[in-house]
Amino acid sequence: MLSVKGLKATVDDKEILRGLDLEVGAGEVHAIMGPNGSGKSTLAHVLSGREGYEVTGGSVTFEGRELLELDPEERACLGLFLAFQYPVELPGVNNTYFLKAALNAKRKYHGEEELDAVSFMRLMKEKLKVLHLDDSLLKRPVNVGFSGGEKKRNEIFQMALLEPKLAILDETDSGLDIDALRVVANGVNSLRSPERSMLVVTHYQRLLDYIEPDYVHVLAKGRIIRSGGKELALELEEKGYGWIVDEAAA
Amino acid sequence: MSAQALKTETPATAGVEPAPFDSWLPQAAAGEPDWLAAARAAAAARVHTQGAPTSKSEGWRYTGLRTLLEQGFTPVDEPPLGEPMSALLPEDIEDVLVPGLDAHRVVMVNGRFAPQLSDLSGLPAGVRMNGLRASLAADPTALAERVNAVAGDGAHVFASLNTAGMDDGLVLHAGRGAVLEKPVELLHLSVGMDEPRVAQPRHLIRLDDGAQVTLIERWASLGDALYCNNAVLEIDLGRDALLKHRRIQLESPSAFHIAGVYLRQGANSRYDGINVGIGGRWARTDLVTRFSGEHAECDLQGLYLAGDKQLLDYHLDVHHGLPRCTSRENFKGIVHGKGKAVFDGLVYVAKDAQHTDAEMSNRNLLLSQNAEVDTKPQLEIYADDVKCSHGTTVGQIEPEMLFYLRSRGIPEGLARRMLCIGFAGEMIDALGNEALAGHVADAVGRRLEAATL
Repeated sequence: MLSVKGLKATVDDKEILRGLDLEVGAGEVHAIMGPNGSGKSTLAHVLSGREGYEVTGGSVTFEGRELLELDPEERACLGLFLAFQYPVELPGVNNTYFLKAALNAKRKYHGEEELDAVSFMRLMKEKLKVLHLDDSLLKRPVNVGFSGGEKKRNEIFQMALLEPKLAILDETDSGLDIDALRVVANGVNSLRSPERSMLVVTHYQRLLDYIEPDYVHVLAKGRIIRSGGKELALELEEKGYGWIVDEAAA
Repeated sequence: MSAQALKTETPATAGVEPAPFDSWLPQAAAGEPDWLAAARAAAAARVHTQGAPTSKSEGWRYTGLRTLLEQGFTPVDEPPLGEPMSALLPEDIEDVLVPGLDAHRVVMVNGRFAPQLSDLSGLPAGVRMNGLRASLAADPTALAERVNAVAGDGAHVFASLNTAGMDDGLVLHAGRGAVLEKPVELLHLSVGMDEPRVAQPRHLIRLDDGAQVTLIERWASLGDALYCNNAVLEIDLGRDALLKHRRIQLESPSAFHIAGVYLRQGANSRYDGINVGIGGRWARTDLVTRFSGEHAECDLQGLYLAGDKQLLDYHLDVHHGLPRCTSRENFKGIVHGKGKAVFDGLVYVAKDAQHTDAEMSNRNLLLSQNAEVDTKPQLEIYADDVKCSHGTTVGQIEPEMLFYLRSRGIPEGLARRMLCIGFAGEMIDALGNEALAGHVADAVGRRLEAATL
């Protein structure tokens, strides 16, 4: 599904990713953990095609395509989805209109007919039910005046609608209280499937109590320095990042 | 003399230009009331004295008149006696109507009232509407006290020109307490003529105490003709009166458009105005407000989209001469390509106008390197107990917003359009009429789709 080999990237001439390798198979959930400044968010952004990062080495293939050559919109249409750490407010852009434009852009890319208003509303209602979302959110401008929890739920709702092959959750737990976290995690779990992979980027182990990963990777100084099963997350929770970073440096 | 001849002669006479607007003035009309002939003559004399404003004149710094003057506009011809001004039939104008808009309709064709296209049926008691010429024909003295009652003799040369050359217009009078449920649609339709012509409509709108009217003023064309409209609206609001005024300028891309909206507001009256400017090659709008009673409220909002070879210029002049009045100026603009927009907002608060509450805001999205906005908010405050503020922004599309949309699979061009429409959406929603909002949203969408953003 996703194959990252020796990925190097800089921001403002500062090297952030320094030769990162990662293999994600279909249906797998991988957690990327690491201390602040280790490059977690940079990885999420480089994969999704955000501007401001320069890739200086390595390669990324996604579904057999050279991912880094593609525009963000094409990556999305191929099935990549980034759930933002800080979802962006779009004043004046109606949420329903936005969702429909996104869904139809993807359908068009794949040569499918665009959904008309009626079929689209039916689909939305169905997805809302699964995520226990209030449909009043749909009538408002995208993320404007949403609470932190509502913004994150709106991200997961978009994910439900767009049905990506690979979802990257960037610090999805940040700014959420425990109840909101549970709702968001339930939403994510309902979207787990053998065809859908997830990359869960997080600083804290607590999100992984709710979204159980198959693999955990520790990222430090732009490289993955340790990989393991979900028990690695618990070990990190207990001992912090220091020991593992020191060990890797030794 | 043809327009072409005038155009080529202009450079040779540059710097001299003794009487730039002479061609605009009509021959004296026979059978006009004396008071009107006198008003025209006085205005023509003022035009001669004033001449054309230059870039050194206050209020014209960013608005060059050269291309306007080069056209050598002449007045629209009088029809042969006994024949209608326009031969258009209702089916000819279907394409420019707003689908689903339920309104009393007044149509002006090239500045002349066209009864065969208008629908004035079903007006409630207390509301009267008629063409200006028809009103004068019915009662030659009726409007003597009303022409220039609000606009004044003024310093604005185009208002003087309009007085000197006014062809026709709408006379609307809502009596005391009259409430018009349906809006009045005032559609100005311009149809190309053999030469560049100027139409000079004068509209006289009066709402007596407590009357309520919604006026939808539209400017449209059949085809891409070159023409000029120089309009003056005089609006007189009595005590507690409410006028909702929607102004939708969708002139032909070759057109010149000049409009002066002069407003006098009685105590506790409310004017709620939204100006949409999308069409035209060169458009200048002046909105001028004077209060004649306390607790009046004046709301001036606007949305402009200026693109290639287009100048859209708005001048707002709100004079608080009395205490306890409120004014709001809120204009948003999108400028793309080589477009240019001007916003010049003046709020003047006189010494005695205590407890004035005034806010001014002008926000702009600049979509290209070559786009230009000249924004000039001015607050002049001579009272000491007032609440006044102003804010101006000129910015680009936020890269964060653009990336968010693209990360959801939306192509960049569409994403940019969505953000522009979102920016404009506040004003479109504020129109408060679903049919009209749809019409304007379509026009905005079409424009953005055609533009390189």
